[in-house]
Parts: sequence; C-alpha cells; structure tokens
Amino acid sequence: MAGNGNNIPELDQNKYDADEQVKIICLGDSAVGKSKLMERFLMDEYRPQQLSTYALTLYKHTANVGGKTVAVDFWDTAGQERFQSMHPSYYHKAHACIMVFDVQRKITYKNLANWYKELREYRPEIPCCVVANKIDADMKVTQRSFNFGKKQGMPFYFVSAADGTNVVKMFREMIKRAVDYKQNPSDFMDEVMQELEVKLKHSDY
Amino acid sequence: MSFVAKRCGVQFSPPSIVLIYENKETNKVRKRIIPVRNFSKYSDYSMAAERLKNHPRHRDYLEGVSQSQLERLHVILRDHLQGFSLDYSLSSFRLDPDEDLNKLDDEELARKKGQMDELFEKNRRHKDDPDFVYDVEVDFNVETREKCSWDEESDDGF
Ligand SMILES: Nc1nc2c(ncn2[C@@H]2O[C@H](COP(=O)(O)OP(=O)(O)OP(=O)(O)O)[C@@H](O)[C@H]2O)c(=O)[nH]1
Ligand SMILES: [Mg+2]
Repeated sequence: MAGNGNNIPELDQNKYDADEQVKIICLGDSAVGKSKLMERFLMDEYRPQQLSTYALTLYKHTANVGGKTVAVDFWDTAGQERFQSMHPSYYHKAHACIMVFDVQRKITYKNLANWYKELREYRPEIPCCVVANKIDADMKVTQRSFNFGKKQGMPFYFVSAADGTNVVKMFREMIKRAVDYKQNPSDFMDEVMQELEVKLKHSDY
Repeated sequence: MSFVAKRCGVQFSPPSIVLIYENKETNKVRKRIIPVRNFSKYSDYSMAAERLKNHPRHRDYLEGVSQSQLERLHVILRDHLQGFSLDYSLSSFRLDPDEDLNKLDDEELARKKGQMDELFEKNRRHKDDPDFVYDVEVDFNVETREKCSWDEESDDGF
C-alpha cells in the first residue's frame, strides 16, 4: 500500500490522528473550480495557507458535528500534472475526498476515473463523493445522469461555486461523513455496502 | 455620473486601453484613451489591471468593464511588448473544451481561467447582494434524468 506520504516537512500530518481533527481532500482536473468551491463554502472565514511548492492550499474550518466541535483541514490541491509526485502526501491520512469535474468539459469527467483509481491505491475506503460543478453555465446538464461513482455508491452533487447551489450542503455532508469514518472506519464500510445493495436493487427495475 | 461601457480594447502605441462608452446624461457616445503607464514586458498584468480599475481618474468610466477583461487586455499589451502577435494572444485565451488543462503551465492556465472568469463573474451571487442566501439547496429530480452521453463509450472505468 501507500508507504509514508508524509513528505511535506512544513506540515505535521500526525495531528490528523487526534479525535477532533479531520482532513478532507479536494481532487480534480485543473480549473474545474475546486478552489472556488472552497471559497464559496468558507466565505470570509477562510485563512488559506499557501504552500505553492506543493501546489497546495490549506483551509482551516471549524465545524459542529453532533454537538462536538471538529477542526477540519481542507486540502485544496492543483490539477496540474507536474505536481503528480505530490499526490501521495495529499492522500496521506485523509478522512474524506471530494472529487470535482466541470460540466462544460467532458475530459474532466473522464479523468475522474484516474483520480479515483489513484485515490483508492492510497485510501481504499475513505468516503468519497462526485461533484458536478458550474451548473450555472448550463442548467440543462442537471437533467442528465452521470454514472461515475454509482457502482461504488458515491453520493453525487450538482453544484455551482458561482451562484452557490448545493455547495454548503455538499461540504456539510462530507464533513459529517469524514467524522463518521474517523469514529468508525469499519462501520463505514458496512454502510457503503448496504447503500450499494440498495442502489443495486433499485437499478434492477 | 453614469457612463455605460460599450466596448473596450487596446492600442499598441502608445500602449493604451481604449474605451467606447455612452454618457447617460448627454446620451453621447465617446471614446476614451487611457495610457497604460509603467507597464513593461515584465510587469504583473493582474496588478496593473487592478491599479487601473481603481484609478481615481478612470474608475467611473471602467465600472462596467470587468477585472478579468482588463487583465486580458494587459496580457495582450504585455505579449506585444514581448514580441508576440495579437493572434497568439487571442488563441491563448480560447477555451477548447477537449483540451487537457492539466498539461498547461501556470501562465497558460491563468489565461484560460481568465476567460472562464467572464461567465463566473456574470453568474456570481455576491454576499453583499440583498437577496444573498448562503446555503442554497436545490433538489434536481432524479426520475426525469436522461442517460448522459459522456458515459456511453466505455463505462468500464466507471
Ligand atoms: N461559470 C462558472 N465558472 C466557475 C465556477 N467555478 C469556477 N469557475 C471558473 O473556473 C475557473 C477555475 O476555477 P478554480 O477554482 O481556480 O479551479 P481549480 O479546480 O481550483 O483549478 P486548479 O487549482 O488549477 O487545479 C475560475 O477562474 C472560474 O472562472 C462555477 O461554479 N461556475
Ligand atoms: Mg485551485
């Protein structure tokens, strides 16, 4: 499996082992809108930490999940290929993953398969979702179904960082899932399996 | 004061931003040539654009011109100073939906994003808007969905 992905000396990734800390990563091709989504969710709250050598922006957020305060670190990564070697450190100790594509560019949807494959090499079981961004550009896309991730039971969101549609909802649900996963990783797998079974049954119709 | 920007472009010598605008009070269409000063082939185009947009003498005229358009015009000016043709500049902005943007370098990517910003800014809801809602939730009906052609060719990887 992964080996040690902790190769960013500026960051102590051991803190993510603490109960009240989660790490959520945001993946996807260049210019799909990962950073704009983060900014829309965090609004004024955000104080990003730029680590440009690693093509990484870190956003810190405090969330309340089930009455408990949780410190969330969002890892906003860059899609550019020249940062490929950094990917293991992104995946390292992550508790959830948000995968984004641009509804205006098919290639970014097709590339999800590569992002997902790589993610699973390092983090075989963390919760993950698929996000279709920029729906404001063409609302008709919301009448289409995008099947990537269906088999794996991944939640799918139509969002727009520009007009805000479903951005907050998506982030809140992913924070909740990251915390759930952290508290009980194996239960989470069962949940996915159940979800999957339900989905499979449904698709029999 | 009410100036409505009609068109905005560049002029290479001397390097200037050219604005065609209508004065709503007089209903007259006018041309304003704004020289771009202290701008070399090494300058930061986004800072230069911001400086111009906030310039006390020009800002009222430039209100209707987006930051990203001003950035693009500065990129064209800078490309020219570096010896690139206008054609080169224009094609660097063009968005090809099939192009893999992961392969671009920072500057090339910034040009594409600048182009995308046009629509982004147009559709953007600002938090200062009176009807701004932070948590916008829309349920898109799953039943009526058609199959997406993007899935057709090879569903294997999916
Ligand atoms: N119309 C529209 N445009 C968007 C939306 N979100 C992002 N954009 C545009 O897409 C461009 C790229 O967005 P970024 O957030 O920089 O993309 P990114 O995924 O962080 O890209 P990298 O960090 O380079 O991998 C922005 O400059 C915006 O112009 C959206 O919801 N709607
Ligand atoms: Mg980004």
